Amino acid sequence: MQEATFLILTALARGSQHGYGIISDVAEISGSRVRLRAGTLYTALDRLRADGLIDVDREEVVDNRLRRYYRLTPEGGRRLAAEAARLQANASAAFSRLNARPALGGI
Amino acid sequence: MTDSTSPSAPSELERGYRRLVACYPRSFRKDNEEEVLTVLLATARDGQRRPSLAEAADLIRGAVRMRMGLSRSPRTVLNAVRLMYLGAAVELGVLITVILTAGTVRAAVRAAVVHRDPAVAARALEAVNIDLAADLAVLPAAVVLWLWMAWANGRGHDWARLVAVSAFALYTMGMMADLARGAAAYAPAAVIASSVAWAIGLAAIALVFCKQSWPYYARRAATR
Repeated sequence: MQEATFLILTALARGSQHGYGIISDVAEISGSRVRLRAGTLYTALDRLRADGLIDVDREEVVDNRLRRYYRLTPEGGRRLAAEAARLQANASAAFSRLNARPALGGI
Repeated sequence: MTDSTSPSAPSELERGYRRLVACYPRSFRKDNEEEVLTVLLATARDGQRRPSLAEAADLIRGAVRMRMGLSRSPRTVLNAVRLMYLGAAVELGVLITVILTAGTVRAAVRAAVVHRDPAVAARALEAVNIDLAADLAVLPAAVVLWLWMAWANGRGHDWARLVAVSAFALYTMGMMADLARGAAAYAPAAVIASSVAWAIGLAAIALVFCKQSWPYYARRAATR
């Protein structure tokens, strides 16, 4: 799973969000490191919808502008959990090995 | 947050974004255009007058991915499509080589046979010319076929897989025939090039028919 996909799913894990909300949330989650652009976001959303990991929750019109809210599907939740577990296992392995090393400047 | 002053008179920035979003496939625009514009306008800098270069590049990249059918396909189909584009590139490389070396080949044949019977020389040259003409007819068609297969398989057309298999079978038979005529001895470069294209075709077919690809083709068939 690509990082952008992982972060988009993470942004939706708390509840449904619209496009701009996802962009701000992803920036916040990643400590401003990942700033999704509209083209990247909608290519990813299009793909995630086709894969059944997200779905359209509802649509609203605010200031004459369409806002579509997306939500995580149960399958999307499972995939995100599996990916998070995988990343966590990798990170734990890295930390435990780094900690086991004699101090070489360490981390 | 930049707002257009009124919906009836879109700003210069909005018109610029709309022109870029127009690159996306119609099926995507029908469903998402207004929403993408909302996000673009919301993320624009204050006072921004036109789309930035980075925004334009990002939108065009997304549009190309979608038009190539790469955004919705599983990883296996995605890699198969990439291989098919690679196949087209290899075939194009062969075509260019044939065109660039045609003169040299003719000159070499002429030099080799001209001091013998002029009738033999004429026949040899004619044989070379027929071979070249065949290459010039078949290779561009092969490039187009690879590109078309990449496009159609990327979009999940089930019959595109069948076309791929049929084309591959024909290609295999053609290669066998060439080898039977001893092509490996008199045209080793051509045999290497066609082996590369053959291997690319085999890998692409294995990918479109592997387990992970089936649901994609089935779903696309069901939504039509």
